Amino acid sequence: MKTRIYRDPVIEAYKRDVDRTLLRENLKLTPAQRLEKLVSFSSFAAELRRAGQRARLAKKR
Amino acid sequence: MSAQFDKLLPLLVNGGIEFILIGGVAGNIHGSARLTFDVDVVYNRSKANFEKISELLQPLTPYLRGAPPGLPFKLDLPTLRNGLNFTLTTKLGDLDLLGEVVGGGTYKELLPHTFTVEAFGVKFKCVDLPTLIKLKTAAGRPKDLESIAELQALLEESER
Repeated sequence: MKTRIYRDPVIEAYKRDVDRTLLRENLKLTPAQRLEKLVSFSSFAAELRRAGQRARLAKKR
Repeated sequence: MSAQFDKLLPLLVNGGIEFILIGGVAGNIHGSARLTFDVDVVYNRSKANFEKISELLQPLTPYLRGAPPGLPFKLDLPTLRNGLNFTLTTKLGDLDLLGEVVGGGTYKELLPHTFTVEAFGVKFKCVDLPTLIKLKTAAGRPKDLESIAELQALLEESER
């Protein structure tokens, strides 16, 4: 049975921009694999932040 | 600092803390593609759980996120008993310990709306997708609008 969702027009407007291809790929994974992906992406984002900081510092010198 | 999800969640589970995972990490478990930086949990407000939380988290030097440094904050039994929702920084990243959430209530009230997830070598409870949507909607934060849209899209995709 499908879950009934209240159709808020604001949310429906935002929903048009959701990239469902990303969601469909994620749904092929197990919950544990999705968490591993989050951990990996978090590490990647942290490394990018550190690289940005280093670049800003180097520019100041 | 981004939370070290792979260390924080096993730590809570192995420490015997009763909690339900909500928020962005729960969204990721359901398939969200949004990056999140903290761990949000609803914890059971029992004396035994207060003791475990206090004992387990003190070595991580928990401190109130955004508060000026130097406050005499200690996440001990009286603090947990007298407080409710704590937004914390810890050595393993940001952790929101919530005694009650808008739209979902307490740990015991949320419990029927959870399922068990196995990840990082441990098992823990995570809120189900319809309830996560309800919680995000009830929070009423403009920043959650995109997230709610994505979660609703996930629900539609998973029920196709």
